[in-house]
Amino acid sequence: MGMESYELGQSGEDLAASYLTKQGYHIIERNFRSRRGEIDLIAYDCDFLVFIEVKNYSGRSFSSPYVSIDQNKRASLIHAAKTYLLRKKIKNINCRFDALIIFRRQQGLAIVDLYKNAFTL
Amino acid sequence: MLVKINSAALLGLEAYEIEIEVDASRGLPGQTIVGLPDAAVKESRDRVKAAIENSGFEFPAGYFTINLAPADTKKEGPLYDLPIALGKLLVAEQITSQKLADHVVLGELSLDGTVRPINGILSICLSMLKTGKRKIIVPKENADEAALVEEIEVIPVTSLRESAEYLGGSREIKPHKVDIDSLFKVQDDFGIDFGDVKGQGHVKRALEVAAAGGHNVLLVGSPGSGKTMLARRLPTIFPPLLLAEALEVTRLYSIVGLLSGKAGLVTRRPMRSPHHTTSDVGIIGGGRIPRPGEVSLAHHGILFLDEFPEFDRKVLEVLRQPLEDGQVTISRAHSSLTYPAQFMLVAAMNPCPCGKLYDRKGACSCSPLQIQSYWKKLSGPLLDRIDIQLEVPRLKQDELMKMPQGESSQVIRERVIKARGTQADRFKGSNIFCNAKMSSRQIRQCCILDSEAQGLLKEAIVHLNLSARAYDKILKVSRTIADLDQAEIITASHIAEATQYRFLDRG
Repeated sequence: MGMESYELGQSGEDLAASYLTKQGYHIIERNFRSRRGEIDLIAYDCDFLVFIEVKNYSGRSFSSPYVSIDQNKRASLIHAAKTYLLRKKIKNINCRFDALIIFRRQQGLAIVDLYKNAFTL
Repeated sequence: MLVKINSAALLGLEAYEIEIEVDASRGLPGQTIVGLPDAAVKESRDRVKAAIENSGFEFPAGYFTINLAPADTKKEGPLYDLPIALGKLLVAEQITSQKLADHVVLGELSLDGTVRPINGILSICLSMLKTGKRKIIVPKENADEAALVEEIEVIPVTSLRESAEYLGGSREIKPHKVDIDSLFKVQDDFGIDFGDVKGQGHVKRALEVAAAGGHNVLLVGSPGSGKTMLARRLPTIFPPLLLAEALEVTRLYSIVGLLSGKAGLVTRRPMRSPHHTTSDVGIIGGGRIPRPGEVSLAHHGILFLDEFPEFDRKVLEVLRQPLEDGQVTISRAHSSLTYPAQFMLVAAMNPCPCGKLYDRKGACSCSPLQIQSYWKKLSGPLLDRIDIQLEVPRLKQDELMKMPQGESSQVIRERVIKARGTQADRFKGSNIFCNAKMSSRQIRQCCILDSEAQGLLKEAIVHLNLSARAYDKILKVSRTIADLDQAEIITASHIAEATQYRFLDRG
């Protein structure tokens, strides 16, 4: 299961990255890790630095993807984002957290749902 | 980028101006509110976000710092939603405005971007007279109330977008005006009338005297004798509120939020009848930041306490100070606030726990001890403050079957208004306005008896064994009765009637 879900995640992120690029995002980082959390994708969208959380949803999972970015997840994303800004010495730029949800259908088919500014501090 | 918007905060009855500073810095999205906001102010964050998005604006990016200055007083309530939302839009330069400096902005936001009414607008408008700001943006529902202060230009708004367009200059909103006289002219229809009450002629008369002189009343009678029915009809014979009084009452009702849904001005004298389980804080006012209690909500009106001895002993005793001073000062760790409380106390009670003491002999099943402990709940100092004490007998069979007859409230009210006018002339220049509030010196000055009256009073003192205090009360009440008669000098019949209203002294 572990390997499978990793691969699923990877392929999801590939899909997300190509989708976002088509939307005009410029991806600069993938799978950035801090001590507390991980950010799937980091990209520029116009003047914004965007931290993107990619969620795969197979349709078999029990909870809805819309609620799965809970307080804990938010806190770890925020921590990771702060770490990123510090490490790269990025200042004076507007940031945003987006969520991208991928609904898997049959082999190869997927529906993508992008939530801009999904949450704030 | 920094934006400042004027707003106001309430502390008790008074309001003071505050400044809402909104600053945005680039960085992770979020916001913080400083300046001692309470939970309702902090929650504005979510309302503001939804309201901005649902009004067709874009929720601005960046980290917002919102300061409610001065930073050392507590800010309460949802009244800062609108200024905060406008502040964010201004900082993000989604709107621009040249008008900010001379406007005060207040309002709660609904998630769809409409503006909801808030409490305490009248106090805020009155406080603006001191600060020099002359324009206020208020929720439309509060416009009538705000416009009572004629010097202020009231801009009523219904939504966030409308206020943004007004401030931006792309929309004109006509200042709201109300015709205070027409608000006042609304004919009082109480739906009840003294004419409805069967029998009880002497009680009606006593209540007329009480209303005319502002005397506190205690009604003692068996269950079903009509105490409550009579007391509820008291407001119908009271003189109408003066504008200054109406404004005071409206302010009080506005800050506790009892005004919403009604017209902007309270034109009717309030009558409060709290249940006897009400706590002392409920009666007198209180809370972490003290709010007005029932005595203040009865300001310029009537406080009716049914089942008087059933109230907590503590509750009855806290009544003494407002009865004396006409105001209450409540001190809490956070602040000490004074609310006005000039009311007429009307208390009703049974003569004994079973209530049948005055009915036919043997009907009462209470032991003397029970009756004693029932009456003991009412302390001497409290009863001292009640000028008129009355027995309300049960109706006799023939009275009960008859159609109600007697004067209508309107007729009685006209006499009361006349008598109040006489008193107003008499006490011009002093700080009292009715006979009940006379000091003993004023009693000596104003209550002049003819010789027959003096003789009768002397006899009454001897026979009824009246105390010095009871003597003063009889003089005060007889002064009111003489005023109702439009008589300058108090005569024997006035004294005789007043003596009748000392039921407890007669023992």
